[in-house]
Amino acid sequence: MIRRLAGGERNLTSLAGPLRMTFPAASKHVRVLERAGLVTRRISGREHLCRLRAAPLGEAARWTEQFRAHWEERFRAMDGVLEEMKAAEEDTQGERRRAGGRRG
Amino acid sequence: MTRTGPQVSTPTDTTIVMAREFRAPRRLVWDAMTRPDLMRKWLFSPPGWAMTRCEGDVRVGGSYRWEWSDGENDPALSIHGEYTEVRPPERLVHTETMEMSRCGPCGTLVAALDLEEAGGVTRMRMTLTFETREARDGALKSGMEQGMEAGYRTLDAQLAARV
Repeated sequence: MIRRLAGGERNLTSLAGPLRMTFPAASKHVRVLERAGLVTRRISGREHLCRLRAAPLGEAARWTEQFRAHWEERFRAMDGVLEEMKAAEEDTQGERRRAGGRRG
Repeated sequence: MTRTGPQVSTPTDTTIVMAREFRAPRRLVWDAMTRPDLMRKWLFSPPGWAMTRCEGDVRVGGSYRWEWSDGENDPALSIHGEYTEVRPPERLVHTETMEMSRCGPCGTLVAALDLEEAGGVTRMRMTLTFETREARDGALKSGMEQGMEAGYRTLDAQLAARV
């Protein structure tokens, strides 16, 4: 939903549709975002128009935080690669021990 | 087991420093960060993108090239450069030039990786040095754009759970 709002102001119906949400569910979702200070809503006629609020953080802090989040996603994947490497090493050592045992 | 993300700081106008710990010996971290077959597994880009080229000759004067496709352009993003300091498994320095199909070359930076090991845990410090403050800020912003995608996905999931 936030990704859709990143494109600019949208009414609730156009937000709910592609997400396969009912209008009340989307409205509730937006209410949570409003409470978190991330989204503002204005009512124009029968339309509920929602838009993202400028982030409360300073711009530089926001860049740094997003840069960090972007890299953390990669480093988490690297944690997984390291676990695989450790497991592979243990397997190899185990095989060597077993092979050594057979020879002895 | 909780792990915090990398600490990001900007000690000068032209640098970004990232620090993080990995629960693995330093030689494994070195391999994961220098062997193309292992780098492919974690050096990914935004959803829908695929890494199409990852090759490198890790020795002083050796070059490397990483490329990603966004499904329409291949490469949509390419990063290439040369290794200028190679001291396994503790220090690696390389130049880095990024090119995007949409905007052409985005300038060159110098990336220095330092690894220290204590008790089976490796502490990584990566220092990115840019030519200008504008280039440094541009890199932070591009991280923001890509990070936004991931951040929003997580946030959407968290909000969906609360509603």
